[in-house]
Amino acid sequence: MSAVCAALAADPVLASHYADFRGKTEAALDPALVALVRQAVAAVHGMEPAPEESDLDEGTRTVLAYARRMPFEHTAITDAEAAAVVADLGEAGFVAFSVLAALADAECRAEQVGLAELAGG
Amino acid sequence: MSTIPRVSSAVSGEPPHFGSVLAHQPAIAESFFALYGRFWGSDVLAARIKEVARMRNARVTECGFCRNVRFDKALGQGLGEEVVDDITDGYETSAKLTDTEKAVLKFTDALIHDPELLNGDARAALQRHLTPAQIAELGLGVTLFLALAKALITMGLEPEAMDRTVLPTPAVLEAAE
Repeated sequence: MSAVCAALAADPVLASHYADFRGKTEAALDPALVALVRQAVAAVHGMEPAPEESDLDEGTRTVLAYARRMPFEHTAITDAEAAAVVADLGEAGFVAFSVLAALADAECRAEQVGLAELAGG
Repeated sequence: MSTIPRVSSAVSGEPPHFGSVLAHQPAIAESFFALYGRFWGSDVLAARIKEVARMRNARVTECGFCRNVRFDKALGQGLGEEVVDDITDGYETSAKLTDTEKAVLKFTDALIHDPELLNGDARAALQRHLTPAQIAELGLGVTLFLALAKALITMGLEPEAMDRTVLPTPAVLEAAE
């Protein structure tokens, strides 16, 4: 459970809305890619080991390289890097991936400040 | 940082902007706007406090769109530009921000920048000024502000130029209830 979901335990309506948004974002992408993106972002934050990439195809490695830029280098991502991800995922996939990677980063940060404990969760 | 959209609009006749681009994923869009409306519609945490955190996030993440948008509910609660101007580095010494708002800003900085900023004193101040339910709502808000600002920036949806714009505060649509 994400730190945000845990923090919202006392507000079931908001918690349900947040879980729905999170779930709809993940459902728009391949589940294996979702897990890899989340793991790659968490690894940048030092919260998980980096995913093993040796068996991944070039497109997936490109997507993960982009995801790793989200936590601390989001303003430095180039048009060419974005175009490479669009080429792999398509426009709709790129939109879902952008939301997922940014949300994964924010959720890691929420966990690092101890949001759930602060909220009494 | 690109101001050239990296993805097209999914809404015929509309240029690429956050809503028209998110429309490539209608289920995500519908769910997000329902969540965001519910978040802003809740009065557990005052809109002024939420807007203070949103403004800080906009400045730290360099989201020009976020930085120039104001939500009217917070304006109605007294968050004028003379206060917003103090939501910058050195806010700790502001005479216009309340102690609660300073505690909220420290939490915001910790979440979006460096968790070490929420040290013992800052954590105690946050818990002194906000209830656990308010902290939960604040945490949700900062999470969404940060994620959406980064998604917007990385999709190339930053405006080249934008005037300050007051918008109606997001709300839950009747039909969605």
